[in-house]
Amino acid sequence: MRALLVLTVLGGGVAHATVAPALGIGGVTPDLPLIVVVLLALRRGPEFGCAAGFAAGLLQDAAGGGLIGVQSLTKAIIGFVIGAAGSRLSVTQPLVQVPGLVILTVAEGLARFALLKMFNFSAPFSELMFYVVLPQALYNGFLGALLVVALAWIESLRARTS
Amino acid sequence: MKTRKFALLSFAVAVCLVLLTLQTRGYGARAADALAAVTTPIQTGIARAHRVAFSAWETYLDWKNVRAENGRLREENQQLRVEGLLVRETDDENRRLRRLLALQERLPLTTVSGEIIARDWGGWMRALTVNRGRGDNISRHTAVISPDGLVGRVVEVRPGASIVQVLTDPASTVGAHVLRTRAPGIVEGEPSGVLRFKYMSRDGAQIQVGDVLVSSGQGGMFPRGIPVGRVRSIDDRGTALFHYAILEPAVNFSRVDDVLLVTGESRQDLAGFFPSDG
Repeated sequence: MRALLVLTVLGGGVAHATVAPALGIGGVTPDLPLIVVVLLALRRGPEFGCAAGFAAGLLQDAAGGGLIGVQSLTKAIIGFVIGAAGSRLSVTQPLVQVPGLVILTVAEGLARFALLKMFNFSAPFSELMFYVVLPQALYNGFLGALLVVALAWIESLRARTS
Repeated sequence: MKTRKFALLSFAVAVCLVLLTLQTRGYGARAADALAAVTTPIQTGIARAHRVAFSAWETYLDWKNVRAENGRLREENQQLRVEGLLVRETDDENRRLRRLLALQERLPLTTVSGEIIARDWGGWMRALTVNRGRGDNISRHTAVISPDGLVGRVVEVRPGASIVQVLTDPASTVGAHVLRTRAPGIVEGEPSGVLRFKYMSRDGAQIQVGDVLVSSGQGGMFPRGIPVGRVRSIDDRGTALFHYAILEPAVNFSRVDDVLLVTGESRQDLAGFFPSDG
């Protein structure tokens, strides 16, 4: 559990620092740590999701140079919620996971905006949502779909070989 | 179990809120410092991993590019070599034909140019096939020359080609004389690919190594004064009736590609129309 947690956080961090800028389209980059946290929280449960989201968010906060604690809080909550929902709802299907990722990204954006607003962050809501959060949510959904398909393929390969 | 989950969430939320509160109340620097102590080593590690991975990837890409470029350059090099060979070949052919044309224009003879299309280089026979035949008014015994000298004579005429017996054929004989002394004799072909000059009078000949021999024109088969060969060695037979000299042919028969077939007659000495060194 701990090793996987460290791997998730560091892997997400490395991916975010290396792959994400290269994947940017029109200034929109995917939130790779969020995708990793969501996909693993669905499989590992709320505790893992919360811890992974908190650590990954903290790293992103520290790297971003803004208010520390914003992304760690939103991602910890997202990881917890999706981990808890994963055990109760049928969320293992890609058709559910991909739109779920889009909604979760939007939710994370909204939560981040609300938090920042509480701490006197002055940015127009509509522009932020339209130019930053929504494009990133769609991108996350698209990348999440690819990841889910890749994971399903790897799992089927493993099942066939075993 | 359930309590533990919520405790973890509460702890995370509390830590975040405390951090945010501290930062908004002016303790941001300390909070950031405290976090930096934890995150900086991790970030450093990530950055290093990023650099290593990126440089490895770049190295791989460079290697791949260099390999692809190497293959492309090899191909280009090969193509250029082939093109170079073709250019050289064309250049050689051009030079040969120019020489032949120049000779044809300056000779006071009617000639037909021809191209060697086959060579019979067996031990017993040495012959060339020229792409001129009956249709070009070529007849048997027509003399064949090149810008370097005498090649031989036509021994067989076909509709579109002729067979030329070259001077080194063992059955070939040509009347010749030493250009310097005018000493006459007969040049015969040798199976070894050289020529043998058989001369009669030893003291009258005064032949020397390096002397140039030209056709004598006797018998009317070959025009007079066409270079036949150069003396390579002299075979002194003492009091014997005949003495011999071994000649290096004036023409390199294995490399001659274009020739002139002499269809007209001339009693003029043609030695001055060929290179003075034979």
